[in-house]
Amino acid sequence: MHLFVFCSAFVYIYTGLYVLDEQSLTFGKSLTLMQNDNQLIQQLQNKDERALSLLYDNYAGAIYSVILKMIKDEGKAQNLLQDTFMTVWEKAESYDATKGRFYTWIYRIAKNKVLNVLRKTDPLIQTDDFSVYNQKEDAISIDAEYLELNGAVTQLEAHHKEAIELVYFKGLTHREAHQEMDVPLGTFKSYVRQALKQLRESYTKMLSLLLLILNAL
Amino acid sequence: MDKKTLLENGLLEQYLLGELNAKECEQIEQFLASDTELKTYFDQLEQDFETLGLENAITPPSAIKSQLLDTITSSSGTSKVVELKPNTNSKWYLGIAASVAALLLVGSFWLYNQLNEVKQQLKTVENEKTELNDKLNELNQQIEDETALFATLVHPDTEQYILKGNTLIPNGKVVSYVNHETKSVVINTERLPELDAEHDYQMWADVEGEMINMGVISKDSNLMAMNYIDHAESLNITIEPAGGNDHPTVEKLVTNIYLN
Repeated sequence: MHLFVFCSAFVYIYTGLYVLDEQSLTFGKSLTLMQNDNQLIQQLQNKDERALSLLYDNYAGAIYSVILKMIKDEGKAQNLLQDTFMTVWEKAESYDATKGRFYTWIYRIAKNKVLNVLRKTDPLIQTDDFSVYNQKEDAISIDAEYLELNGAVTQLEAHHKEAIELVYFKGLTHREAHQEMDVPLGTFKSYVRQALKQLRESYTKMLSLLLLILNAL
Repeated sequence: MDKKTLLENGLLEQYLLGELNAKECEQIEQFLASDTELKTYFDQLEQDFETLGLENAITPPSAIKSQLLDTITSSSGTSKVVELKPNTNSKWYLGIAASVAALLLVGSFWLYNQLNEVKQQLKTVENEKTELNDKLNELNQQIEDETALFATLVHPDTEQYILKGNTLIPNGKVVSYVNHETKSVVINTERLPELDAEHDYQMWADVEGEMINMGVISKDSNLMAMNYIDHAESLNITIEPAGGNDHPTVEKLVTNIYLN
């Protein structure tokens, strides 16, 4: 009986999500991920290959997107993605759940790997990462749609969206990004905070929609 | 650095995005560990960045995943050992189980054979016992018979009559012992000439002129009991067809004697 209720609740939620739109679907996915991850991560730290496989399924898409947008080369991006998850496998014990989410941890690993490659492949090694970014802009071997953003971030005002894009998807530091946007650092930081606040609002809206569906059951 | 500057300078965001150096990271981590409000804010930030990432996910080619898993499987010797160990263990246990089963099988087969053998022996013993019982019964019967005969012979009231053969059996004689008290007759036929298979000696008692059958004399035994007939005046023996006759053949009378 309980199982039946549980199953039908699940079916309803997912049907409801499809009726809504892609954004809330992703949101629902991230909600689901929260519950299962702890156990999976434990298994990963015990060298369970199945756990790595499942965590890959959950996160590889998001990480691949970030890598692609940073390096703008599909071949290199694929190598870096594999490399990232190799590191996830090898260094799993060093992940500390009290310090942050698993996704954040992988994100940082991936970002560091891409930045390392960008610095090395640049023939004129620059101390300023910003210049690296500018030079790479020329040699693009990538489908343009991979560089486009999706979801709630597209609803933001242009400068908010750009701020997020620069620091999150293009791997620039705040310092590099404010130069790129040609605004003072303090202004740039407030852009980021504003953007994040609006994102939070739209995600909360989706959460209440979800709860509404749950209540309707 | 206090909480306010930390928030206003977007340090949490930069920490999350991995922009800070090791020392700064340590400071932020200390803040987060000691301030639950800050931690809650950071948790939300992480959640939002993750959702942002997932919303923008691009599915990588499936070959990457299989390559990744292949690399892991071939490079990590430890995981192979871990996987093999339970296998060998289970085979080891399987081996023991199989051995025990085989032992049981052989054992039961051996026991079954033993059982059959013992059953066979028991049957033989039972047969022998039946045989011995029969023999014992036979001997008992014999002893009883002979005791009865002997009792008659040694009885103080027993009278002995000797029937001498006539011209039909010139040297033949029969010793008869008659006891009127116990009403028994025993005869010794040791000296009766042997007859062919078609004929038997038969004994008769004469009671007031009538010959009454006392029984056919057996060819197997020398000493035997005959039927005692009350008021018998004489004992007579005739030769009759084998198995005896209803009436005596007078011409074949071989011997007779009058009783006192």
